[in-house]
Amino acid sequence: MEYILDGLRQALVLLVSGDPQTFSAIQVTAITSLLAIAASLGLGVVPGFLLGYARFPGKRAARTFVDSMLSFPTVVIGLLVYAFISRRGPLGDMGLLYSVPGMVIGLTILGLPIIVALTASAVENLDARLRPTLLTLGASPWQVVATTLWETRFGIMLAAMAAFGRVVSEVGIAMIVGGNIKWHTRTITTAIALETSKGEFAMGIALGLVLMVVAFAVNIAVSAFRRISEK
Amino acid sequence: MNAPLYRLRAVTQTHGGRVVLDVPALDIPAGAIVGITGPNGSGKTTLLRLLAFLDRPTGGEVRFKGRPSLGRERELRRRVTLLVQNPYLLRRSVRGNVAYGLKVRGVGNIREKTDQALAAVGLDPARFADRARHELSGGEAQRVALASRLAFEPTVLLLDEPTASLDGESAALVRQAAMDARDRLGTSLVVVSHDIGWLTEISDAVLAMENGRIADTIR
Repeated sequence: MEYILDGLRQALVLLVSGDPQTFSAIQVTAITSLLAIAASLGLGVVPGFLLGYARFPGKRAARTFVDSMLSFPTVVIGLLVYAFISRRGPLGDMGLLYSVPGMVIGLTILGLPIIVALTASAVENLDARLRPTLLTLGASPWQVVATTLWETRFGIMLAAMAAFGRVVSEVGIAMIVGGNIKWHTRTITTAIALETSKGEFAMGIALGLVLMVVAFAVNIAVSAFRRISEK
Repeated sequence: MNAPLYRLRAVTQTHGGRVVLDVPALDIPAGAIVGITGPNGSGKTTLLRLLAFLDRPTGGEVRFKGRPSLGRERELRRRVTLLVQNPYLLRRSVRGNVAYGLKVRGVGNIREKTDQALAAVGLDPARFADRARHELSGGEAQRVALASRLAFEPTVLLLDEPTASLDGESAALVRQAAMDARDRLGTSLVVVSHDIGWLTEISDAVLAMENGRIADTIR
């Protein structure tokens, strides 16, 4: 028990003193997660909206595929991305392996199905009276689509936060694709795994505390947005 | 002779193979107030949705101001609007809701027009314009929905049991605002209600519907 409390004390010292190595991992985590969420939103909102809004042949199969992708193991995503961007892979010449952009690609693949699936669900759960209301207020078909998308904004934010919560706490992709390089691609999760295995318990606890604060903040924000979106 | 506002001929509507509306002939003159009454499932709402150009009839023809409506629904929906018993308010402020119909039409002077529309339904713009939809009572929400439709000065206002779930004061305000629109703007009103007393008092004609047909016309 003593070493846990000691680790906690040291962790607080690392955080309060602004330990560069600790904050480097936090910074890399923040950058890769935010870029991955931005990319996932850019790529996923329109397909998610169409999946929930439009009727087309194969819609059910598309929905099943997206839902299946939600449970795609992160280490497998890491493995696939590694296969593509490693020196022998088809994108090997781009120098993405063990780089922040490479990690962002992997994390985007992780976040994308969450954005698509939750956006589709948000559209499907919109009030059935919305469309006739917009039509009878004089909206054109494009104005109906644009307003429906705007009405889904809280659902999309909810999807972004859920995806962020998953991406920020992910370890498999960051480890395999990023390579856990100190000052460069080391994230909170990979640093925890490494430092703990080295017996550097304090840094593991410090980073774990940060991760927990982020996870709680995301969950609180999700709850708040859910309440707002239900109004 | 001027063409009636609406001319319906041999109009039928089917749902799942079942005929839910069968109107051999119906004319609604411009500027008229027409009441529609009848039991639940008699086809009142189906008829209103056709008049609102939200649905196309399975058979027959609907003419608006002498011209067939088929293919012109989008244009006609800018002149005809429908208010239902439990209307949907958009996830934006009261002013945002009232302004929506004006914005999609590219109309200017939105602030003044939204203030006027809110005042017309008895809502003080200074108190209500910035409220969110969850900050409104049922009666206030209904009046905001009516203001959203009055703001763009429709040619036809279709009301589907607009006061059925309202208290006496809100119901009176909704009724008064609809009548004001007719008197001030010349808006034609088609009103579905179970309140036959009110319908006969305000309407030029009351259609009694039964089993998808107009069983009787009271003038």
